[in-house]
Amino acid sequence: MTCPFGPEPDPRHGGGGTAADTAFAVLLEDSAEELYEHAPCGYLSTLMDGTIAKINTTLLNWLGLAREDVVGRLRFDDLLTVGGRLYHETHFAPLLRMRGEVSGVALEIRRADGDRIPVLVSSTVKTGSTGEPLLIRTTVFDARERRAYEQELLRARKAAEEAARRAEADRARLQDALSVLQQSLLPASLPSIPGVETAVHYHTASPDRLGGDFYDVFPIGGDRYAFFLGDVCGKGPQAAAVTSLIRYTLRTAALHDPDPVAALTTLNAALFERYTDGDPRYCTLVFGILEPDPDDGRLTVRLASGGHPPALVLRGGSPRGGSLRGGSLRGGCPRDGSPRGGADFLHTPGGMLAGIVPEPVFTTATTTLEPGDCLLLYTDGLTEARTSKDRTALYGDDALRAFAAGQAGRSAAELIRALSALLDEFGEGLDDDTALLAIGVPARPSPAPSPAPATTNR
Amino acid sequence: MDIGRRNNVTLTGDPDGPAVILAHGFGCDQNMWRLTVPALAEDHRVVLFDYVGAGRSDLSAFDPRRYATLDGYARDVVEICEELDLRDAVFVGHSVSSMIGVLAAAAAPERIGALVMVAPSPRYIDDDGYRGGFSRADIDELLASLDANYLGWSAAMAPVIMGNEDRPELGRELTDSFCATDPEMARIFAAATFLSDSRADLPGVTVPTLILDCTQDVIAPREVGAYVHREIPGSRLITLDATGHCPHLSAPEATNAAVTEFLAGLR
Amino acid sequence: MSTLDITVRDAATGPVLEISGELDFASAPRLRDLLATLELRAGQRLVLDLAGLAFCDSSGITALIAARNRAHAERAGIALAAVPAPTLRILAVIGLDQVIPVYPDSGAATAAVLTGPDGP
Repeated sequence: MTCPFGPEPDPRHGGGGTAADTAFAVLLEDSAEELYEHAPCGYLSTLMDGTIAKINTTLLNWLGLAREDVVGRLRFDDLLTVGGRLYHETHFAPLLRMRGEVSGVALEIRRADGDRIPVLVSSTVKTGSTGEPLLIRTTVFDARERRAYEQELLRARKAAEEAARRAEADRARLQDALSVLQQSLLPASLPSIPGVETAVHYHTASPDRLGGDFYDVFPIGGDRYAFFLGDVCGKGPQAAAVTSLIRYTLRTAALHDPDPVAALTTLNAALFERYTDGDPRYCTLVFGILEPDPDDGRLTVRLASGGHPPALVLRGGSPRGGSLRGGSLRGGCPRDGSPRGGADFLHTPGGMLAGIVPEPVFTTATTTLEPGDCLLLYTDGLTEARTSKDRTALYGDDALRAFAAGQAGRSAAELIRALSALLDEFGEGLDDDTALLAIGVPARPSPAPSPAPATTNR
Repeated sequence: MDIGRRNNVTLTGDPDGPAVILAHGFGCDQNMWRLTVPALAEDHRVVLFDYVGAGRSDLSAFDPRRYATLDGYARDVVEICEELDLRDAVFVGHSVSSMIGVLAAAAAPERIGALVMVAPSPRYIDDDGYRGGFSRADIDELLASLDANYLGWSAAMAPVIMGNEDRPELGRELTDSFCATDPEMARIFAAATFLSDSRADLPGVTVPTLILDCTQDVIAPREVGAYVHREIPGSRLITLDATGHCPHLSAPEATNAAVTEFLAGLR
Repeated sequence: MSTLDITVRDAATGPVLEISGELDFASAPRLRDLLATLELRAGQRLVLDLAGLAFCDSSGITALIAARNRAHAERAGIALAAVPAPTLRILAVIGLDQVIPVYPDSGAATAAVLTGPDGP
């Protein structure tokens, strides 16, 4: 025996001589037939009308049928389930006619014992020399694994779709409920008061649009109106829940006894009783009474503060005197002789938050608004707004006063619009609920050229 | 709503000729008529369309309630006739479309003047004294398999770019996808088709009717063709030497010959 | 991100909580949780040393009120020490400085002889 050097010797020419040659030759000669009959997939050839002309052993074994019962006797359809037959006739066969081939179609073949095997079927049309379709060659792949996988995918998909549907329904229901609640927490609109203009801006920090700030203006008879504006500690739904109690307690108290201190005292009792030590809830607020004088157009405001930031009084007209009467402000409120054409705080030192102690102190103040004047109530969302990235710089009282002074003489609506624009500028620096309420006496139209409020809209 | 776009209406042939509407059945779309159109185009105005939910119809117009019954599809036909102002058109319907044609003709008699039914069936499920060819269980199994076969179905229904060089008879126009359909809509069409029963509508047909059935058709067996012929007064039945359910594809010459002869007889 | 650090130490008068960082909506619950479990006996004084307090909002105020309520429930006293100016201002506006005594630093708060629970 020789062992030549170089590349791997060809076994056909290596040692063993003729015997191995023959063995391999036999294998190779049979291989085409073997490959066909015992392929890992099913092979099938049919005439154009579906009659089976040739079928391999693998497929016969899958079907549990004998060759003589199939060839020339059955059509491809007959091997399928009813659903498969319908599908074959309405889609598979027409596609095959038109395209000349179809691949990877999922069907089920029926075994002789009635069982089904999911399969993947591919077919091509063999044409003759003139392009005439002669026969159809079909390959059938066992798709049991794939089918199980597909079904799992489908099931998972359906479950996901169902879950998404339910979540969407829940979300919609929640949104509806929230909407109803939101509307009940705030006044739908402010009453129209003869000789008085009111405007309000309300912003909530929570995405649910539920906040802890509250306000209201309502008639209490005898041409008088009550108002209040305040801030429950915290924010979001829990704070909003407290505002409901506060609003309705104050409204009821005012109808019974409109004196501001009396109203706040009643509220304090209600909150103190309602919220236990473990979960204290307090609010700060201003409560007041409006008494318009129909004769001279002035508006007397008597208010009491429960630990709330002081209101701002904006005086219209110019320091030169303009169209407004000088002097004669009623009431003993400190700093009432504020110069015309500016803004000043209506201080109420010593007032205490409501809901924490059984007998709190509430401080009163009074002022009279002349035509062109405006009273601004606000919550600390405005003054605590951040003007820098960290929390070191806050907008603050002084800045607010200066801003308001620049708005003096404008109508309540214009003032609120200007403040809204200011709040927008804070952007993310405004992260707390904010309520603004402006109560003003419209300026009298003046024949002389007086400094009318600027009307540029921002 | 632009009906032409909604139903992918295709107009071809002689615009002044008498109108012939070719309506596909369950399975595929107007492309099934590829081999029929050339035979009709010379002398007729040929109208092809896809029902909403099939082919390249506007799928966004699919209303699952409307298209759950054959009346919904019949309305497509009537709306197309009104859009094109067709009168006395010949309606050629394949499979369940034959019945859709019956409903459309009853709803708008001035629009449809004759019916050609290709492999029709008014009811697929066997009934007392009636052989439709399938049991209720068979149809349930079909509908279930449409569900289960969703993924396999969509693979088969994926759009295909058709090469034309080796298929000269199919014409140059066919460059786009065909037989693509939304599986959900196909399922609804299948339910509407295979659960339908239009037998009661047959005696009311008043227009000339040609029925073509095949020697070997598992979906519309010979008994069904015979039944339809009996029930439609004055109808004509021709059994084509063809196997399968789509003779307009598997035996186009014979199909075309029968149809053109019928059309000539109408004039 | 609010960072809140609380250190508890014992003085002769009772527990002293050294609170530094930011006391707000997000971090206040931690103070409240701690207050709920704090050991406090009658006659003691709970001191909150706020020397390191960088920020306090209404949730922080609520936590201080909760501390007061807890102290009173145990018949103990409460005091604030070294309150930063911005927080002191808030306490003045809402009148809480009339409710909880304020001392300049924790030394003063713990040195004061107890004459009984504080506050009105």
